[in-house]
Amino acid sequence: MEFAELIKTPRVDNVVLHRPFYPPVEGTLCLTGHHLILSSRQDNTEELWLLHSNIDAIDKRFVGPLGTIIIKCKDFRIIQLDIPGMEECLNIASSIEISEWRLSYVNKEFAVCPSYPPAVIVPKAVDDEALRKVATFRHGGRFPVLSYYHKKNGMVIMRSGQPLTGTNGRRCKEDEKLINATLRAGKRGYIIDTRPLNVAQQARAKGGGFEQEAHYPQWRRIHKSIERYHILQESLIKLVESCNDQTQNMDRWLSKLEASNWLTHIKEILTTACLAAQCLDREGASILVHGTEGTDSTLQVTSLAQIILEPRSRTIRGFEALIEREWLQAGHPFQQRCAQSAYCNSKQKWEAPVFLLFLDCVWQILRQFPCSFEFNENFLIMLFEHAYASQFGTFLGNNESERCKLKLQQKTMSLWSWVNRPSELSKFTNPLFEANNLVIWPSVAPQSLQLWEGIFLRWNRSSKYLDEAYEEMVNIIEYNKELQAKVNLLRRQLAELETEDGVQESP
Amino acid sequence: MEFAELIRTGQAQAELLRGPEEPPLRGTLCITGHHLMLSPGPQATPDLWLLLLRNVDSIEKRVAGDSGTITLRCKDLRVLQLDIEGVEATLDIARSIEALSSLESVITSFPFFYRPKGLRLGDAWHFHPPECYYKRVARETNAWRLSEANEDFSLCPSYPRAVIVPRAVDDSALARSARFRQGGRFPVLSYYHAPSGTVLLRAGQPLTGPQKRRCSEDEDLLRAVLAGARPGARGFIVDTRSPQAAKQARMTGGGTEAKAAYPGWKRLHRPLETGRPLQESFVRLVEACGDLEQSMDRWLNRLESCRWLSHVKETLSTACLAAQSMEQEGACVLVHGAEGTDSTLLITSLAQLILDPLSRTMAGFQELIEREWIQAGHPFQLRCAHSAFSHARPKHEAPTFLLFLDCVWQLGRQFPLSLEFGEGMLLALFDHAYASPFGTFLCNNEKERCLCEVRTRTHSLWSGLSQPKEQRKLRNPLYVPNPLAIWPSAEPQSLRLWQGDPPPPPWRSSRLCSASLPVLFLLRPVSARDPST
Repeated sequence: MEFAELIKTPRVDNVVLHRPFYPPVEGTLCLTGHHLILSSRQDNTEELWLLHSNIDAIDKRFVGPLGTIIIKCKDFRIIQLDIPGMEECLNIASSIEISEWRLSYVNKEFAVCPSYPPAVIVPKAVDDEALRKVATFRHGGRFPVLSYYHKKNGMVIMRSGQPLTGTNGRRCKEDEKLINATLRAGKRGYIIDTRPLNVAQQARAKGGGFEQEAHYPQWRRIHKSIERYHILQESLIKLVESCNDQTQNMDRWLSKLEASNWLTHIKEILTTACLAAQCLDREGASILVHGTEGTDSTLQVTSLAQIILEPRSRTIRGFEALIEREWLQAGHPFQQRCAQSAYCNSKQKWEAPVFLLFLDCVWQILRQFPCSFEFNENFLIMLFEHAYASQFGTFLGNNESERCKLKLQQKTMSLWSWVNRPSELSKFTNPLFEANNLVIWPSVAPQSLQLWEGIFLRWNRSSKYLDEAYEEMVNIIEYNKELQAKVNLLRRQLAELETEDGVQESP
Repeated sequence: MEFAELIRTGQAQAELLRGPEEPPLRGTLCITGHHLMLSPGPQATPDLWLLLLRNVDSIEKRVAGDSGTITLRCKDLRVLQLDIEGVEATLDIARSIEALSSLESVITSFPFFYRPKGLRLGDAWHFHPPECYYKRVARETNAWRLSEANEDFSLCPSYPRAVIVPRAVDDSALARSARFRQGGRFPVLSYYHAPSGTVLLRAGQPLTGPQKRRCSEDEDLLRAVLAGARPGARGFIVDTRSPQAAKQARMTGGGTEAKAAYPGWKRLHRPLETGRPLQESFVRLVEACGDLEQSMDRWLNRLESCRWLSHVKETLSTACLAAQSMEQEGACVLVHGAEGTDSTLLITSLAQLILDPLSRTMAGFQELIEREWIQAGHPFQLRCAHSAFSHARPKHEAPTFLLFLDCVWQLGRQFPLSLEFGEGMLLALFDHAYASPFGTFLCNNEKERCLCEVRTRTHSLWSGLSQPKEQRKLRNPLYVPNPLAIWPSAEPQSLRLWQGDPPPPPWRSSRLCSASLPVLFLLRPVSARDPST
């Protein structure tokens, strides 16, 4: 890896340096491959050159928009940098922070975990040998790996399969060590189990289970209940059936909508994702998410929590990266889950609209925060279509191992290469988008959640008028931009004329 | 009676919670004859917060220690909480609000004292007289005339001074027909559909009674309608009651048109709820909307059992039926229920929005409300006396007008380009119908408005809304005139609960911020809770 990749903001102006024996200096902070440099660009003041390798620990604090980084050096010196702008401060801090994480290639041959990609992010303190042991203790070999790093406070989301404690309460020291390695000193973490307690207890009979308090004293376990498998598939079938039934009255429609339970599933998933995001952002605690296999509800929760927390995942490229990382490489079995949709009579146990539920949840958040997403509803609908049937290879196979064996990279085209062409991107871009760097908390009150008409009533209702309205809105925004540009141009011209006048008058 | 007698305390220190979106406001609380005021001090912005006391629907007080809490539930469905220092002050303020918010006298109400800058009394009241609409009709056809038979409101107390009737029928025949119709509401023209040459009429039920009484003038009137339309034209009578209900009405002197007596007219029954069932539906809906902690099942179940969306569906599909009869079958349509002042107006006004592009403009919609609701004698004072929070026993309250606004909102949702006014306009009309500084929605009909001199002593809402800074909030930026009829889908899947959070206009840099619940129109809660705790 290149140094440059780690340096997100190479230069910040107006940084104030406090250090022992010197008066505070204001200057420009630069990061190079080896040094942190602060220069006031004045001849008589001394510059600071600090080797990255001299940094022992750093702390960051925020007061309003002003950030402070306190650097504790290996030579016992403590210096303080006041950096204007939260974003800059976080970028500087994360660039010089000594990473507690590493990339492990232990799964290079897909031997440790068939549903993981060849490279995963794990705590630095745990070696590959330990990872192999942990893999034998987790369902499907899915040992805990990093899913998301919350830059603001350094807390993380991890995901895994259920621990194979079985009926005798088996334990695994390496597993305990691994997940404890992600905690800061004195901090507690949360384990979010996506199953209700009784289901988790029953799982022990089949060799599965959950983390016992006694063995994981620094972790608090929270049980939620997200449905899986055929229950979801049946819910989808019922919902689509009642959407297509044109001969009903309002009472019947509402009671069928209720009976399908689809919106209940949406509410449960969103609630759990909010809980996960809250643990990170509000409680300042790291979390581990798992259900049974760790390939379905687990991924719904970890990916939605990122949508809530991470502004980048709400951009088109960021969302593509999220799908790639949290669904495709994380081993959601697309081939099995999306084999059939709502009309097919063959009911196979492994079919389930897990990914569609995720997209629906994203749509609900998009509806509540219409300006915070770079993509629009069409982008989500397109992903739904391609997950079930596609001319591209992206959603083929159940995991990276299968995709490798099928040589999909050589033999098929990637969906992303098509989507990212400017002509396609324009269809998926949200004209209302304004980068919103905040955490967005969706409402999960039942009144706030709605049926996704764009998917479920798409073929029953002509969207002609809605499309026209959308076009009109785009036109208004374009026109407004044009006018804005014209205003700016005229302002500039006016300023130029005024200075010319000044020049002419002065002699 | 003096307001001062009802005000038990001058002022108190208080903190106001207005909902999750806005920060609490601290300051001095005052009560005047018409307002509750909170003044946070000269440095604060805004420097004054005001609530019209008429807007208070229910009041709840709690005291603990040496302070108290008053929860005000407003007719516009806002919920406000006041934390007040001092037990005595809390009780006094609560009693004062209770007394002042329930005053029934029209001429001491706030519109009679409201004198805003920039508006002149009498402006805009002359915007929409019946003559105005008659001119539009007369340009198209000669078959109708403006009758001033009701000049002194003696024929029909709930009709305006002038009404449009068939040219072939003279005023004495109108007087006879008026005696044969409930409330004197003889059939009058509501809308002339120029492309098909057909008309929409409205009336009260015929008073046939158990003896199946007839009235030849009434029969002549309806015959003249068909004759004036075009040769061989047919007519439909849309009765907004079920056949059984119409038959039962005979026992109490009402009834329905006998087939034999009205050749060429066919009766259709489309039962629509009015009165108490509608009010109960509204109350139960708002109750269900206020509970954020319930499960999805329970919410959908309550949404279903309150039947509000069923009412929306029935109303829209009946309006479609009336519009279709005119446009596609070339038939004249007469609408009535019992009184002809509630569901009748719902149908006639919605049918016009479907058919008439003019009524979808800003000015046309105001004219429609003025003509089909206010002058047509919808008893606003009775229907909107209380909203969904009141514990008082409902007497004449019913959210008929809200149901109309909801149906218009559904139209706007299905045809986002075709209405010149936006959701902001509908929300403003709802708010003003229940409590307003303007006189437009005062009283029950034109006769009462005349007696109270509403038109000369209060300002019109229409001039209030025509201020440029108001217009921005009321217009639909996407509007493109659409000369065609707009046929809404009344299928259950097509209808939505009206939540009332207009999306931020795209050109403004407003964005929804974090940690906020979207504010539902039917849900303006006191406090937000974190979703998962």
